[in-house]
Amino acid sequence: MNELKVDKVSPRTGNYVALNTVGMKNIIINGDMSIFQRSTSASSLTGSGYHAPDRYRFSKSGFGTWTWSQSTDVPSGQGFAYSQKLDCTTADASPSAGSQFKIESKIEGQNLQYLKKGTASAESLTLSFWVKSNKTGTYIAELFDVDNSRQISKSYTIDSASTWEKKTITYAGDTTGAFDNDNASSLQLTLWLGAGSTYSSGTLSTTWTTATSADRAVGQVNLADSTSNEWYITGVQLEAGTTASDFEFLPYDVNLQRCNRYYQSYTESNTIIRGYGYNNSSGMSTPFTFKTPMRVSPTMTEVSGSDAGSNTDLTSFGNIKTYGCDFDTNPTTSNQFNYYQFTFTASAEL
Amino acid sequence: MINTVEKIYSNVPLVEFTNTYKVTYSDSTVKFVPLDEANSDYQAIQEWIQEGNTVIDNGGNS
Repeated sequence: MNELKVDKVSPRTGNYVALNTVGMKNIIINGDMSIFQRSTSASSLTGSGYHAPDRYRFSKSGFGTWTWSQSTDVPSGQGFAYSQKLDCTTADASPSAGSQFKIESKIEGQNLQYLKKGTASAESLTLSFWVKSNKTGTYIAELFDVDNSRQISKSYTIDSASTWEKKTITYAGDTTGAFDNDNASSLQLTLWLGAGSTYSSGTLSTTWTTATSADRAVGQVNLADSTSNEWYITGVQLEAGTTASDFEFLPYDVNLQRCNRYYQSYTESNTIIRGYGYNNSSGMSTPFTFKTPMRVSPTMTEVSGSDAGSNTDLTSFGNIKTYGCDFDTNPTTSNQFNYYQFTFTASAEL
Repeated sequence: MINTVEKIYSNVPLVEFTNTYKVTYSDSTVKFVPLDEANSDYQAIQEWIQEGNTVIDNGGNS
């Protein structure tokens, strides 16, 4: 029999209210780490950026060098197929004051209006996830309100080395500062993995407050202090209410389509775009429609290309919109059948 | 780090700005960035301009 999980009682009707019991209750996209469009293993990472798992940003200065990959090491019997894994390849045991090392997931404000942030009815949020590391100790999980520069940090402890542990953290609702109702980043989940004194020399901010750098990651262990260190995480779920419900598994295609709003890869070997033309006096423009509309007009990057001897170049991606773009090619020889085959990516990340 | 930014023009059917910037980074990576204020790479271009850098604009004459 299904169990109804009640989050609160309506003050108006006295009826039980269960928040987000039907579909898409998880604010975090790709919580099960099934989507890695960019790379299933990105190595030699030293700087910030989106490198491997979709919707997770590597945010870092100092704290060594890392390999970030998709792993099949998962908590037993929980239904997960993948985790994301961080593996330290160059250590930094003495990070500078301004160094920081964290994984971020950014959420659009228009998807968060139901949280009623900035009102007396602001919803609490509960974060749950499975984590494993040989590096035991205190870690910080932070929610950052980008629109109002407010934040709240909570600590959790990895108790046993190299053992999957489930963590659940509840954050109170914030009655100050509404999220903007737009497609920009409003809420950022930050999983700290290392913090210099700039971010850790104060008192941990465990209630919503205006952000103060020194209070964001107090007590955070240094995951980068040894090349033996590894860190795994999966089953990341952030939901309204004060209890953690079972992880919301979505079909792979639904997960992928949600990720495609922010990043699309057209780099599979069989994903080849061709253009035709035979006039060297003017360029040739070929319209293309994306798999799904993107968050904003995306940045386009050619990954590889070849004209196979037809004397054509891809000159640019033009008229880039949320739903598609033009491929602008430039045949360089008259009266010749031209084509250009290439692979590319489109990025509209937050 | 951004090295150069160039406005991109199309000559199909007329010479016109395609609302796209060709951005070359210091590691030689090339990206085509749309004129969209919500695009994070476009925002980076604006910051780069505010630092005193200039966008290449040849008016469609390559």
